[in-house]
Amino acid sequence: MSDGGGRLARAWSRWVARIDRREPGTALALFRILTGLSLLLAVGSVLASDLVTVLWVDGGHGGYRPLKGNWLVQSLGGATPGVIGWLVALAMAGGVLLTVGILARPSALVAGQALIALSTLNVHGRSSYDPLLINSLWLLVLADSTATHSLRCRLRSDGWTSDALVTAWPRYLVVLQLAVLYTFTGLHKISIHWTPAGGFSALYYILQQPSWQRGDMTWLASVYPLTQLGTAVTWLFELSWPVVPLALWWRSTADRGGRLRRLFNRLPIRAVYVAVGLVMHLSIFALMEVGPFSWVTLAYYPCLFRASELANGWARLTGRLRRRASA
Amino acid sequence: MRALLVALHIVAVLLLAIPDAGGVALERASWKNPTVQAELSAWAERLSTLGYHTDTATLEGDVYAVAKSWTGTLKALRVPVRPYSDYLGVRQTWRMFVAPHRHPATLHVDIEEDGQWRPIHVARSDEYDWRRGQLDHPRMRSMLFRYGWKRYDRYYRGLTRWLATQAAGDFPQATRVRIRMYGFRTPTPEEVRADAIPEGKFKQQRVFAAEDLR
Repeated sequence: MSDGGGRLARAWSRWVARIDRREPGTALALFRILTGLSLLLAVGSVLASDLVTVLWVDGGHGGYRPLKGNWLVQSLGGATPGVIGWLVALAMAGGVLLTVGILARPSALVAGQALIALSTLNVHGRSSYDPLLINSLWLLVLADSTATHSLRCRLRSDGWTSDALVTAWPRYLVVLQLAVLYTFTGLHKISIHWTPAGGFSALYYILQQPSWQRGDMTWLASVYPLTQLGTAVTWLFELSWPVVPLALWWRSTADRGGRLRRLFNRLPIRAVYVAVGLVMHLSIFALMEVGPFSWVTLAYYPCLFRASELANGWARLTGRLRRRASA
Repeated sequence: MRALLVALHIVAVLLLAIPDAGGVALERASWKNPTVQAELSAWAERLSTLGYHTDTATLEGDVYAVAKSWTGTLKALRVPVRPYSDYLGVRQTWRMFVAPHRHPATLHVDIEEDGQWRPIHVARSDEYDWRRGQLDHPRMRSMLFRYGWKRYDRYYRGLTRWLATQAAGDFPQATRVRIRMYGFRTPTPEEVRADAIPEGKFKQQRVFAAEDLR
């Protein structure tokens, strides 16, 4: 075999070995719970606001415009109140089952199909959290997410938690999806206002748009340099997000050596990106009304950590809280 | 086999995520919007100062041609993964806050009582908050954001009719319902500090006889 062929074969063997890896399912369980809650919020808020008919029902049955729907809606008989009611019910039931952690894979599949059908009905009322949530649900079809922190775990053993091992590759795909989301949304930001050439003025002007603001935002003019800093940080954070999976990869292959790998492994890259991401999403939540987008995205964050890291973090947090309570 | 399927998933996701100019972005009419024209003008000016001499119209033509060709190529490359995207939902269009919309519009709903118009809903107003729970919902905001653009006029008409029907039902004494958009340019920080917020104007006005809707 040639050198090139040998290298390719070795790379493929390493890939297969990585795909076969198993680990405790804590991160995927948290991803499932947070995704389930986000799904309940995304669909439940439409129900609570009495918007189901106007958003998703065909004009001939009470809506405001003709709606055809995808293959599923059409095969069920069109966007009638009955069909839409069933799709909403299936999505909500999926949200409940995912949150409590039973029948997660079929629930994610059915809820995902219901959400695809609903969100493609009236694309004018679609938000960016729809495709992200649909991606989350497909990843939950692929993952064994109920090994721990679930009703399934409680029914199979005597506890809500378990150290049972699950395949790790779905967690890698969750991290990849998060990296794709941030990186490619950054690449789409081609307005001059996002760049130094436009004075990093994008966030200030976006927050002046009544469509997304929670209230009057003219006060931001008095802290304009802060909005410029926010624009620059957001733009660079998104564009540079591929370094996070790269850093995770290098950390998990630290034994292979190499100067760049050693340098990366000394830097707190993941911690910095998680901190910036948390601040960014909490700021979006505080200043803008974009639905559950921040929660759908933050549901991905636990998958940036291994189960042992999540357990250590939880122990540190609860220990600190206990010490504070007893002080 | 599993390793191969995971690899194919990754390839599909990356291929679907590459930015393109799909949907309304390839409709020439959308490029005439003041926000888009201002972007092109700013880039033309900036590129000219960097030595690439161009003007707004030329840049628009060049960018449109590249965008059309690029999007066509991507569309062809994505054919094998399209069913995976459409049927299982791994769509990867992350076109979020691409650019600030400098010329937005807000919804105003008024009713006529005893020959006098009075506002019942003004977007983001705490005072005129009729059906705010519905009209402030992010999905409704998404619709109303689009309906301030001329190309969505057909859908705007449909929605205003639905809104007028709700208003006619909620206010039995109203004789007419008026729905319109207030279009304006978002103020610069300097304009806000100088208390010189630019005036906007009403557009897309629709008036309905309430009796016809009950």
